[in-house]
Amino acid sequence: MALLEVRNVTAGYGDTEILSDVSMEVGEGEMVTIIGPNGAGKSTVMKTVFGLLHPREGSVHFEGEDISKLQPYQIVERGMCYVPQVSNIFTELTVSENLEMGAFLAKKSEIEARKEAIYAYFPRLKERRHQRAGKMSGGERQMVAMGSALMLNPKLVLMDEPSAGLSPKMVGVIFEQIEKINKAGPAILIVEQNAQLSLRMSDRGYVLASGRNRFEGTGEGLLNDPEVGRLYLGG
Amino acid sequence: MSMHDATGDAAVARRVDDRSAGERMVAALRSRTALAIALALTLVAFWGLGYREGASGSDLLSLTIWGVMLGGIIALGAIGLTLVYGVLKFPNFAHGELVSFGAYGTFTIMAFLPAGAILRPFSFGWELLAGMVVTMPLVALIALAVDRVLFRPLRVRDASLVLFAMASLAASFFLRSVIYLVWGSDFMFFYPGRSNPALSLPLDIRIQADQLFVFLLAAILVALTWILLSRTRMGKAMRATANNPDLAQVRGINTERVIAATWALGASLAVAGGVMYGLASQLRPEMGWFLLLPMFAAVIMGGIGSPMGAIVGAIIIGIAQQVSSSFINPAYGPGVSFILMVVVLVLQPMGLFGQKED
Repeated sequence: MALLEVRNVTAGYGDTEILSDVSMEVGEGEMVTIIGPNGAGKSTVMKTVFGLLHPREGSVHFEGEDISKLQPYQIVERGMCYVPQVSNIFTELTVSENLEMGAFLAKKSEIEARKEAIYAYFPRLKERRHQRAGKMSGGERQMVAMGSALMLNPKLVLMDEPSAGLSPKMVGVIFEQIEKINKAGPAILIVEQNAQLSLRMSDRGYVLASGRNRFEGTGEGLLNDPEVGRLYLGG
Repeated sequence: MSMHDATGDAAVARRVDDRSAGERMVAALRSRTALAIALALTLVAFWGLGYREGASGSDLLSLTIWGVMLGGIIALGAIGLTLVYGVLKFPNFAHGELVSFGAYGTFTIMAFLPAGAILRPFSFGWELLAGMVVTMPLVALIALAVDRVLFRPLRVRDASLVLFAMASLAASFFLRSVIYLVWGSDFMFFYPGRSNPALSLPLDIRIQADQLFVFLLAAILVALTWILLSRTRMGKAMRATANNPDLAQVRGINTERVIAATWALGASLAVAGGVMYGLASQLRPEMGWFLLLPMFAAVIMGGIGSPMGAIVGAIIIGIAQQVSSSFINPAYGPGVSFILMVVVLVLQPMGLFGQKED
């Protein structure tokens, strides 16, 4: 049984249908990338999985349980966390407080140990733990966002374009951390513009176009697929 | 879109380079420092005007101290107002009625308590404080009930700000009517006819012990609120929800619980404000309604959503209102806070401590 199963999901906002009949799976400890052109519905998949949007048809299962009708905080309780693409930190709170808010549902006694574990991934955050998060650079903000999502030791982390707006050097740093995080346990479902880089690190990938599944395969397989390359990887 | 932004930025940059001395002056006038200086100058001018009208130095000093006390009362209401705005994103016009309910509720609870000895040099006994502590959770329940009946359905429907504001205005009228119905329209006193002589202090300052108590209690409650917001998990969750409600939900914060805690905290502080206000003057059904304008002025002056700003704003408003009574009719007090609010809105709408969107 897969950790996460998206079964024939149709979803959208108001009158617009964005996803139609989308299915995907993430196994335990797997890293899976979703690529596709702008407007393909990649972020909508994330929101639907995380309960910010509820499917009209189909269902989302986490560890075998139907979570399609749950609220985000209930999904967090079950071991899934989400790093949105934009406004993904509390700008008015310090770095350390941001991390604590990531562990709002944890026992008080566990928070300090979890924080230390995050600081081990991102030593930069430890140096700046009393800094107001809104005053930090783009790369540091992304570290705060990812660190907060890891505070509960989730089984699955959803990441929406972690490289958006970062310098090429910072993209490398962030992806290195993502790989490390994934190796340490949690499965990762990632939406990425930087498709080459992300697919190379991934176990598997999905290509989404116009809200539908177009291709799926191993990361390597998709990278080498001539049609995927021509249509979605820019040659 | 990014291309459009880029040309837009270039245009802005050109404008900044080319702006005239006049434009630069306008920009300087609209800074936070300018606002702080303008407010300080206003207070100095008020003292000067009072002095010209024949008020002595010790009069003005007494008025200033009374102003700080009034500021403490305003602050107790304004903190709740600014927190509710921060977390729920609407101006709660019914907040003044929570203040009134605090005073009247305490009045009623006191009738059931044995009247203890007067705590000299103050004019009240333990029953006032006990009544206040009992009333706090009761008014918190009223606030939660109003939220459940009125505001929550609007939240679920994702209603517009105008609807929230109008609903809170309706709640204000409704709650005030309840006060008229239950307690009547006559002025009431916690301790009718009890003498409350001024303390004899150096420099000829005239202050009643009660006034010092009001200020001290306000200071203690403000400090406790500060600790709650910066040290406890629920307090941090309130700040987080105020800062970014969507992310708060994503992080697993149960925002409905945070909203409930915000109401409870705001209502409890309002009760303390109401009791102190009632002790300093008298109980009347519109007491909280009249306090609403100074409270809003304090919130806007401090920067909407900033509790620290609300405290500073409240104290400035309190001093300005009291000192102005040395040269104009004290009935114009609310007008003074209104003028200060307008000055803030013109010079720096973000207030002294308001945060820019990052």
